[in-house]
Amino acid sequence: MKTLLGLAAIIPGVVAALLLQEMLPAVNVLHGARFVFVPMIFCYAALALPFPAMLFAALVTGLLTDLMYLHVVAGRVEIALGCSIVFFVIYGSISNGFRPAFSRGHWWPLIPLSALGTSSFLLMQFLMITLRREELIFDQAVIWRVLAPGLLAALFAPLLHAMIRPFALLIPENPLLAKSY
Amino acid sequence: MKKLNIALLLAVIGLAVYLSVLSPADMQMMQGKFLSFLAPFLRTGSAVQEQLGSMGQGLKTIDELESENRKLNEANRELLTTNNLLREIEGENNRLRLALEYRERSVFRLLPARIISRDASTWWNTVKINRGFEDGVETDQPVLTDVGLIGKVTTVTKNESIVVLITDETCRVAAKVEGTREQGILSGKRVQDSGAMGELQLNFLTKNAALEPGQKVYTAGVSNGVFPSGILIGTVKEFRTRPLDGQALVEPAVDISQTEDVFVVVGAK
Repeated sequence: MKTLLGLAAIIPGVVAALLLQEMLPAVNVLHGARFVFVPMIFCYAALALPFPAMLFAALVTGLLTDLMYLHVVAGRVEIALGCSIVFFVIYGSISNGFRPAFSRGHWWPLIPLSALGTSSFLLMQFLMITLRREELIFDQAVIWRVLAPGLLAALFAPLLHAMIRPFALLIPENPLLAKSY
Repeated sequence: MKKLNIALLLAVIGLAVYLSVLSPADMQMMQGKFLSFLAPFLRTGSAVQEQLGSMGQGLKTIDELESENRKLNEANRELLTTNNLLREIEGENNRLRLALEYRERSVFRLLPARIISRDASTWWNTVKINRGFEDGVETDQPVLTDVGLIGKVTTVTKNESIVVLITDETCRVAAKVEGTREQGILSGKRVQDSGAMGELQLNFLTKNAALEPGQKVYTAGVSNGVFPSGILIGTVKEFRTRPLDGQALVEPAVDISQTEDVFVVVGAK
């Protein structure tokens, strides 16, 4: 029951995160870095769901993200569909390793994992673009745009947990109802 | 790890690989369907942003006047844009008709559009507009304002399109510099420090071009190219020589962050 509800929530969750990202402006004081919420949402799912369900979440998250940001110019695709799925499978597998601790009420791994996942995701995108355009450019703005969204995700992760927890507590035998609360 | 988990893992990776080898057209078709699904939300978000933005102004003006003013502004911009294009084309025709027997250039048909979402990703400079193939928009059509060039259409869905901006590294434009015979390839930078209103690079100029700041840069309009000739792109900010060529840094004419209404060049009149 709880897994099914979690799976059902992942699609609207990711779509909402994508829309929010779309509507929020870039942060000019952080060299144009943007809010990136999708890896954080996925991280929460990977911490809360069992491995097979996490794989489904990775599939959905990766596909929707690639569809949103597919960039085709003159018939050339910069980052092909499916690349983000592979990323989220790897990232989800790492995050899923912290599931036992998460189910015992230790939600803090969400913070570093969200930061790590968000920055890694942006770095992966940048490296793939670099590979495709065959020219390495690495300056201060790139570092800001990779690291700052990760830091922002780390700041927002406790807020996400605080928002989801009351709903999770309503569902019977939810891992978030564990004893350490 | 359980056998089921391994099987599921392989299935997901297999699906990812399958998706990655789809043709760009198939990927764009899937993206189009997804964006069509998101379009109502994006439009609502855009409307909310607009409402919030004009809240202060709304206290001073009457709704009808605001609406009428917007319509007049749109019409005025369309006329200005058409006028600019006509003037450019007329000027070029006058210069070249006698010497090269150029045929008269056609006048462009402009489709007004509104930006519904802008600059939403970290690495690409794009905007989404509220016109799609139902309105006659096609891939590679130029997008401009009364001030100058903005970019070109890359992906078209039923009622929306994605426009890659000239500030993006992947949008390349053949450009010429006012008052000279210098031509080059203009593109954006991979990472623009100030978002969409960034700097452009005009490459492959001659080393002794000696361009001055303030000189205007226009589209060159190469044969079979995407962009018609004579559309203002920006002004030269700086010129520097490199080992093999000259490079000019160009400031875009259009500040996309302040732009709401654009025009798609959908064909000739």
